[in-house]
Amino acid sequence: MIPLALQSISEAEQPFVTRLRVATGTADAADSILVAEDIDGATFAGRNGLVSISGSPAAALDGDVVLVSSGVGRVERLLRAGGLEIPTNTLLVTERCDQLCLMCSQPPKKTHHDRFALLTEAALLAEPGSLIGITGGEPTLYKAQLLDMIETVLAARSDVEFHVLTNGQHFEDADVARLAGALYDRVTWGVPLYARQAALHDRIVGKKGAFDRLQDGLAVLLSAGCRVELRTVLLSSNFTALGELARYVTTRLRFVEAWSIMQLENVGYARKRWQELYLDHSADFGPIAAALDHAHLHGVEAQLFNFPLCTVPAPYRHLARPSISDWKRKFVPECSPCAARERCCGFFEWHPDDEARSGVRPL
Amino acid sequence: MTNRRFLIPSLLAAGFGTTDSLHGTGLPSDHVGMDDDHVGRTAMLRLFTQDHLVSLAQHRSHRSHSSHRSHSSHRSSYGGGGGYRPAPVYTPPPAPTYRPPPPAPAPRYRTPAPAPVPLYGNPPPAPAPYDPGTGETSRPGLGTPPPPPSLSGRSPRFASIVRRVQIALLAQGLYQGSIDGVVGPSLRGALRRFQTTRGLEVTGTITAPTLNALRVSSD
Repeated sequence: MIPLALQSISEAEQPFVTRLRVATGTADAADSILVAEDIDGATFAGRNGLVSISGSPAAALDGDVVLVSSGVGRVERLLRAGGLEIPTNTLLVTERCDQLCLMCSQPPKKTHHDRFALLTEAALLAEPGSLIGITGGEPTLYKAQLLDMIETVLAARSDVEFHVLTNGQHFEDADVARLAGALYDRVTWGVPLYARQAALHDRIVGKKGAFDRLQDGLAVLLSAGCRVELRTVLLSSNFTALGELARYVTTRLRFVEAWSIMQLENVGYARKRWQELYLDHSADFGPIAAALDHAHLHGVEAQLFNFPLCTVPAPYRHLARPSISDWKRKFVPECSPCAARERCCGFFEWHPDDEARSGVRPL
Repeated sequence: MTNRRFLIPSLLAAGFGTTDSLHGTGLPSDHVGMDDDHVGRTAMLRLFTQDHLVSLAQHRSHRSHSSHRSHSSHRSSYGGGGGYRPAPVYTPPPAPTYRPPPPAPAPRYRTPAPAPVPLYGNPPPAPAPYDPGTGETSRPGLGTPPPPPSLSGRSPRFASIVRRVQIALLAQGLYQGSIDGVVGPSLRGALRRFQTTRGLEVTGTITAPTLNALRVSSD
């Protein structure tokens, strides 16, 4: 795994954002430049003074936009620069949420530490052509700050795009005019929808009335001409309801850019409830295949996230995306002879090894 | 006569004639057979009158690699065969449950090298092999307390540079505090005075140009 946070010590009295640079040639005012390196790590100096970082060679940090805590603390690698074809990073804007999904990979917290100003600063320093993910918690609980951040960054950076994960519970008619603005051409809203049956969806997200509220939210996004990606995590409970959901998507939600069917991530609540929630799609791919077929026949782009290629029947493999972020992706020993690793999502770092190993069939 | 009677409708059908008449064939609500007061109806109409339709068209034009879907982006290669560029992967930080335990009191690097740390402009030619085992392995949550101070090399390395800055400023008569490797108010004052006299950006912090100007690297 690639560490996203490293121990550090800085002279600053307040947390700050900076971009780490090994070479001095490209430095601008926001950069901190390498001044020393040893076996333990590297020391950089910038406008906010010295920061010593442990646990990484300087070269691996080059270009990273980091949030540095004051004094003895940590640097959080907000936007990693290293080696990605499309620089893709995710900013966590809050840990509060108004839903409590059965399989939440990052259980919410009650408190909110507002750091929109720092995150805005960081996003403005993103690598050219970056796609920046926004996640939480529920980002739209702080809708005003969120939209301000998005607009500030997109107005200053015509090469940057955002993808915002939201439960769609907080959009109102009054937002339509704003969301219809030209800057939002470069924003995609990733919205979870788990079932066509309100009761089932509500039970999965742990909130009564969530489905109805979500329909209203989607209507706002539709009215504003927003770009929407629907996300459906596969669970034992909604697996058999996938067909009805596919018909709902193709009839009522045709405007979506894509519909992503996602396999479960073994972390957070899902880890404790794995046996109850996890649906082994390699045992029965039928309902998934039917849903994909139905969506494509009706012109809706459907795709598979977190489905290792060899676990998907050959005709559907081209729909399986390499969807797991590099920093938490792993392959098992059985994968080593496989020729398709480059195109494969692999497994989440925390996926049970025995399950992963027994299911792998190298391509 | 007969020819003439059909000429004009034919021209109209072919797109000739006044633009007004063509606009008239748009989407008045009575053609669709829905009540204008209906909320969904007005919303649908609004969808087609967004000011950003023009920008969307521009998007299409520069995304020349797109396949059959107009919204497909030029990044389609990222997702393989499909035309749709996969949205960023949902990568929530792992739950605190799985954060590895804080560094044990037996650190990997017990003794940071006492040798002079190479400074700015003089990077080590060949850093020792990197052992990634010391880094934390999870994205921290918000408000997570910082890890406890460890015996890893960062503190001595940091303090060593600060001490050199203190000595250099002392030598210039700009600093009277102790040589303790700690950045305090009196060191900040000294840095400001030094930066002012040298025409550097006045930050009161240890910047790269300040280290250069203090010639700390040549000590």
